Amino acid sequence: MMASTEEEKTGLQEEAITINGSPMAVRKMQTFEHIGSLAAVAQSYGPRSVKSRILKSIYIVLIKAKINVLLPFGPLAVILHYLTGKHGWVFFFSLIGITPMAERLGYATEQLACYTGSTVGGLLNATFGNATEMIISIYALKNGMIRVVQQSLLGSILSNMLLVLGCAFFAGGLTHPHKDQDFNKASAVVNSGLLLMAVMGLLFPAVLHFTHSEVHYGKSEVTLSRFSSCVMLLAYASYLFFQLKSHRSLYNPIDSEVDGEQDAKEDNEEEEEPEITQWEAIVWLAVLTIWISILSGYLVDAIQGASESVNMPIAFISVILLPIVGNAAEHASAIMFAMKDKLDITLGVAIGSSTQISMFVIPFCVVIGWMMGKQMDLNFQLFETATLFITVLVVAFMLQEGTANYFKGLMLILCYLIVAASFFVHVDPTSDDN
Amino acid sequence: MANSGIELETNGGSKHWDSDSQPNASIPISTVALPPASNFHCAFQKIAHSVKIVIFTAKINVLLPFGPASIILHYLTNHHGVVFLCSLLGIIPLAERLGYATEQMAAYTGPTVGGLLNATFGNATEMIIAIYALKNGMIRVVQQSLLGSILSNMLLVLGCSFFAGGIVHYDKKEQVFNKGTAVVNSGLLLMAVMGLSFPAVLHFTHSEVRYGKSEVALSRFSSCIMLVAYGSYLFFQLSGRESSQYSRIDSQEGSDSDIQRQSQSQNSAEPEDEEEEPEIGLWESVAWLALLTLWVSILSEYLVNAIQGASESFNLPVAFISVILLPIVGNAAEHASAVMFAMKDKLDITLGVAIGSSTQISMFVIPFCVVVGWMMKKNMDLNFQLFETATLFITVLVVAFMVQDGTANYLKGLMLVLCYLIVAASFFVHVDPSSSDD
Repeated sequence: MMASTEEEKTGLQEEAITINGSPMAVRKMQTFEHIGSLAAVAQSYGPRSVKSRILKSIYIVLIKAKINVLLPFGPLAVILHYLTGKHGWVFFFSLIGITPMAERLGYATEQLACYTGSTVGGLLNATFGNATEMIISIYALKNGMIRVVQQSLLGSILSNMLLVLGCAFFAGGLTHPHKDQDFNKASAVVNSGLLLMAVMGLLFPAVLHFTHSEVHYGKSEVTLSRFSSCVMLLAYASYLFFQLKSHRSLYNPIDSEVDGEQDAKEDNEEEEEPEITQWEAIVWLAVLTIWISILSGYLVDAIQGASESVNMPIAFISVILLPIVGNAAEHASAIMFAMKDKLDITLGVAIGSSTQISMFVIPFCVVIGWMMGKQMDLNFQLFETATLFITVLVVAFMLQEGTANYFKGLMLILCYLIVAASFFVHVDPTSDDN
Repeated sequence: MANSGIELETNGGSKHWDSDSQPNASIPISTVALPPASNFHCAFQKIAHSVKIVIFTAKINVLLPFGPASIILHYLTNHHGVVFLCSLLGIIPLAERLGYATEQMAAYTGPTVGGLLNATFGNATEMIIAIYALKNGMIRVVQQSLLGSILSNMLLVLGCSFFAGGIVHYDKKEQVFNKGTAVVNSGLLLMAVMGLSFPAVLHFTHSEVRYGKSEVALSRFSSCIMLVAYGSYLFFQLSGRESSQYSRIDSQEGSDSDIQRQSQSQNSAEPEDEEEEPEIGLWESVAWLALLTLWVSILSEYLVNAIQGASESFNLPVAFISVILLPIVGNAAEHASAVMFAMKDKLDITLGVAIGSSTQISMFVIPFCVVVGWMMKKNMDLNFQLFETATLFITVLVVAFMVQDGTANYLKGLMLVLCYLIVAASFFVHVDPSSSDD
């Protein structure tokens, strides 16, 4: 009982201090909480303490964040799916319902990363960072909607490079109106170079197909795609090793965990004081992943119907609407960091996420499709391939200068509008899906 | 009056062609308000004096008679080829004088409105020719001439400038320019070209919803967006930014008041060339602006009407005429001033002129023509045909990369000019896959 009341007190105090944000006290609280939580786990099995801990945990994770106001849309979508046949509504509600869960998933990952140290933390971020896209893609693969998978992943890269970056530059530029914001040119150039290479590696099956020059028409691209995917996964593993172990110094300015020299200033940000315990974080990770999977199932099932009822091409839904869901959390945090004049983090988030998708998620989906026996390949259709390549090239070129202002952000956003408009009037040359 | 007349005569030579002339401090006498025009003699003298400055002091105006000659030929003979060539030659001095009048007016209105003026009138000739071609329904001519203008700016103008500058400053081995500005400008141009390319890419991957109609809708939407982007680009540039690299872009047509002032503060050995002392009055500039625009419009009509006939009589593809010959007219003045500034080792101005003009065309003139076509109910769209789109994209990419290191020498210039020759040759043997002209 003593331990539990102590832990409750600490918990309440910790909440109070998190609001104020004084570094030294928070560090002490953190130590207390560690001891307190371990003690609580070890000693108290009384129903009251477990319930109160669960309730507190639910409060922190589910209620405190403002985005959770969107949570009810999830269950609503499920209800609508069974009650009505209105796919349009089901689609949109599940879309809105997944958004807060994707954000909370990012939060839980981040919390877990505080406990595990920066290396494993980086790995966690790298794997779970695009968990939502991965889950949606795997469901779509199961349904055989291969074009949806390709288009949603491609749209995610486009959205990261144009919309997220553009909004961040624009917001940051408006907040700091009379000067250009600087970022670390070297890491931006290195990252965009890697992204360009990854995109190049992804494009060869498409180029092969569209120059009508493959040996076995229809089969060669799939084989080539599978081989390329394995190579890309290898590349991704070495990228992780490079980033997290051997060349860490190169990435310090763009680490999403801002440690190092800025400790004194930055302690009242999320990093150094986790708000939930390690096991809670793991449990939440699992719970949210399951929740997202359930909703994704309904989401994917409703795509076809939504496309017909709202009269939008499936391409538009896959390329523009689906990635908004997966990227919502990154979007918000990128903008926030830009407004705080920490463009390095913004760039790390945007370009890092794009690189992750092109080097990990897409090849991973190809491999999963291979295992499921589906013909998922890297043959993205000419329009999407051209769009992707042009976009990555132009943005990589634009980042070379090392400064940002609201006009560049505006140009990027306008380019995204043009791309979105192109997909609005775009259908596949042959049949729509698969 | 006679006094001022003599002083101005010693001051002869227009800004563009003979910029080493020393200014005379008593210039403003010409702009002193005269007593009301009851005195016809004074008014007549003022007009004559103005005409003398604008028309007779510039050496390029020797080409002026070709204008009326082409009109006469149009009515007397049926020789479209000669009419075409004569009107081409006749528009060149008018375009140059238009730039001069704009510059003069900008000297009165201050840098902001001056920048806006340059931005709007800088490519007035191309715009006028394009609108006439649109009225005639010659949509491919419009697309090709605007595209050719961008190509000509990036390859020919830049190449000639680098080459000339490199030869003149042979001892220095390399000329330098402000890397940052060049990279920013070429980045903007690349984005603009990217925005323009999507309808074409959509069409050529045969993936639009309604074949033939979707590109037009998408083009109109993209054009409105590009115009918004251009509006914010102007706002951004002219809103007095701290970072100096943007203030240099103000000179897009050789109006270098800000540049000169800046470079003068750094380089006191440079005599005050043209700026600070406009040669004609504010209302005179406005009047000349209107007059020259009218004149250019008239000649453009004959020019555009003669394209088809010229193509047949000279046995040249219309594509070649549109992409290579027409832009030479619109760009002649910029070309000359860019080369001149390169020879004076002021490569920043050259780059500002060349890349700035290309950006203006891609972000303003082309979308503007689409919108004008929309209002005229013509199906003008951004679907530039695969060959032109690919050429444009490759060119902009390559040139953007090339200006990144901030140096220039005669070899780079020569390479650019030779690339332009290759592009020109490609258009010589190019016809559209379907029919030639809309």
